Amino acid sequence: MFRKVFVLWSILIGFTIFISIQSYTQDAPEVSAKGKEVYEHSCAHCHGIEGRGDGSAAENLLPKPRDFTRGLYKIRSTESGELPTDQDLFDIITDGMPGSSMPGWESQLKADERWEVVSYIKTFYDGFKERETPPREISLEGKIAYSAESAQIGKTLYTDLGCIECHGNVGRGDGTSAPTLTDAWNDRTWPANLAENWNFRGGTDTEDIFKRFIGGIAGSPMPAFEGDSFLHFGLSSEESKRLSEMENKDEMTPEEEEESGKLYEKMDEAVLVALDRAEGTELTPEAQKIYDDAMKVVAEKSWHLANYVKSLSPEKRPETAIGNNSLRSQYTVEELPIIEDEAWNTLEDSYYPLVGQVVIEPRQFNPTIDSVRVKSFYNDTEVAFLFTWHDRTHNIEVEENEDTGTSYEDGIAIQFPVKPPKGPTDEKPYFLWGGKKPVYVWQWKASEQDKITELTVKGVNNVTVQENQGDLNVKGEYKDGEYRLWVKRALTTDDKKDLQLEPGVFVPIAFSAWDGANGDKDIKRVMSSWYSFVLEPVPSSRRFIYPPIVALLSVGFLIGLRGFVQRRNSASDEAETEQ
Amino acid sequence: MKIKLLTSLAVLLVFSLGLIVFADDHGKSDEMNKLVFPKSYSAKAVSGGGKISGVVKFEGDLPEKKKLEINKDEAVCGAEDKYDESVVVGEGKELKNTIVYLMDISTGKDFDKKAKLEMDQKGCKFTPHVQIVPVGARLTMLNSDKVNHNVHIFSSINKEVNKPQPKVRKKMPLAAVKKAEGPVEVKCDIHGWMKAWIAYVPHPYFAVTNEKGEFTLEDVPAGTYKLGYWHEACGSNIKEPVTVTVAAGGEVKQDFTLKLKK
Repeated sequence: MFRKVFVLWSILIGFTIFISIQSYTQDAPEVSAKGKEVYEHSCAHCHGIEGRGDGSAAENLLPKPRDFTRGLYKIRSTESGELPTDQDLFDIITDGMPGSSMPGWESQLKADERWEVVSYIKTFYDGFKERETPPREISLEGKIAYSAESAQIGKTLYTDLGCIECHGNVGRGDGTSAPTLTDAWNDRTWPANLAENWNFRGGTDTEDIFKRFIGGIAGSPMPAFEGDSFLHFGLSSEESKRLSEMENKDEMTPEEEEESGKLYEKMDEAVLVALDRAEGTELTPEAQKIYDDAMKVVAEKSWHLANYVKSLSPEKRPETAIGNNSLRSQYTVEELPIIEDEAWNTLEDSYYPLVGQVVIEPRQFNPTIDSVRVKSFYNDTEVAFLFTWHDRTHNIEVEENEDTGTSYEDGIAIQFPVKPPKGPTDEKPYFLWGGKKPVYVWQWKASEQDKITELTVKGVNNVTVQENQGDLNVKGEYKDGEYRLWVKRALTTDDKKDLQLEPGVFVPIAFSAWDGANGDKDIKRVMSSWYSFVLEPVPSSRRFIYPPIVALLSVGFLIGLRGFVQRRNSASDEAETEQ
Repeated sequence: MKIKLLTSLAVLLVFSLGLIVFADDHGKSDEMNKLVFPKSYSAKAVSGGGKISGVVKFEGDLPEKKKLEINKDEAVCGAEDKYDESVVVGEGKELKNTIVYLMDISTGKDFDKKAKLEMDQKGCKFTPHVQIVPVGARLTMLNSDKVNHNVHIFSSINKEVNKPQPKVRKKMPLAAVKKAEGPVEVKCDIHGWMKAWIAYVPHPYFAVTNEKGEFTLEDVPAGTYKLGYWHEACGSNIKEPVTVTVAAGGEVKQDFTLKLKK
């Protein structure tokens, strides 16, 4: 009896499994066993077993790991709406995505393993299987080499095309739409800071920038500026310029109405051709010519724009302020420069990368502040620092927002030991706000930009505001996505809890910064470990003092020695004579 | 004994079928908030068709009327107060912006080719809030504002659309799509509060309720159909569609009462 039931039950179960397997293989007939193995070993922790971007580590990450099931790929060499090429996927796996948690796998996976992963990832989205023709790739023809003139044209386009809405006036990702951006998964996302191109996900070359601009960044708010999306598509550069002039007037004259009307007709014609093409209609030779001519103008303008964007970042990521790049405060005999002084432009920045604080709760896994840069001057009595850092939003108070969460106040803290270590082997205080060995901290908050609070800190739960405040001159400002903070202090103070400075002594320094819009508050912050800086000793004046003194002393010594020897010799002569 | 055997078998059958159903539903919860389309549709002239009409009402406590925070281009966008449009009701809780449609019609009339297909961006708000777009037709986006907009349509079956529409571009036609899909969300990335919905449909038996919660489907060939609805905040009735039978030249009344989806 039970055997019969069991047999029937087994058949039913078998049938069920058969159906499940069938539907599975129908979805994914080309599962590469090797690719699956590599994927599940190396990728699934973040991207999930089923490629939905929901692996166990995904929760804490922003940008989120890609969900492969929607076919939305950010970094493509293909036109808008197209899937990436296999090479695109291979390159991302190989090189990783700077500024996100996606590492490059070149050293971890062999090339053929990476190709296997490419073919496996493609099984998560049917579109790869269904596509009949290869994806349309973005043409890089007609590249315009960088020149100041080209970048200048690009700058005008940057405004006209609306780039500033998200990327801000000078490209620091601080546009007025930046705080409310979300992606196709309704996760919060930030516009790229174009002044820090080492965080560009898809590379820093002008060609990379051109491709992101023409093809858009799928799933993100960054639109594609190809084809009819481009301002005045179908017009020559001259016609477009003329139309802009007319469009920028409050009211057009009847003649201008007619002239612009003709240009609009010309644009409409080109737009319809672009739509036909997008819908897959074969273009007539005439239509193709209209399209090609229009795209030539688009490409030309886009190269100018790419050149402008390229110009917004330094040539390469600045070197971190260690070793020879350490901050060296420059001696001046003059009054120390104020924040607006152009003297600051004569100094190079020292660059301190910042990372999310992930040692204790609440942690910051998704930092938005990349770094802080520092310059410094000192004279015989005082020292002045200029700290600058990028922050896309200016937050001076707590704000509640249903969509983007609560934001807090921005700020920065500069941390020193209370006493400089006696030598390289002398232990420094704990880097995260001290411990048994206290640290001396300057804490600045965006709501009170001309004030700094001096703290003595012996660990995160042991913060004391110093009784004796007011030793510091402070001025802070925020503009176009950048904070600048100027601090001046006497080299030495009467307060025993303050750090005392003297030229030539290396002093540890560390930073914490808060981007309130990113949820930074108290211990949740971005920070650095210890670096060191020095008031660069002044060789210039002393060079003319010490050597002559040494020379004089040497000569004196030699003369003295000669006299001594002579006296001794004559004495012994006398003795001999006496004998 | 035989009864026991049969009972055990029945239990096992149900259990096994449950496994299949469960396996099929896995990861597809999103699809419960979509429309259902017939496998194929062919258009032909319809004479003596019937009519399906009715009123959709909202039941339960209305969500708090949420005023939108206008934090950008205030002069243009903030000229008048704006409210979240996910639930818009009349005085008698008549529910606007509900799609009512036939799920399983395979032949019927053709689309009205002359109908204007436009979605406006005016005062930094999309109008209409729910737009039906036939597969193969071009929707034209209008920009009636003196500010830049960015049209972002989050399609996943069709190609994602993400196109800037600067203030000088008053009309922007969009490429037709090939597949039925939706409703998909439309957003303006520049003005984060701007949201609307587009449904790409393969046949013309789709209606969107007006301020009075009314809908009408006309020229329906005589027959029995599954009648479906979709609403942004109240969800859909994919699992329990209403069956309606339309007689030639007849009129069927079918009202709906919708609650907020859980």
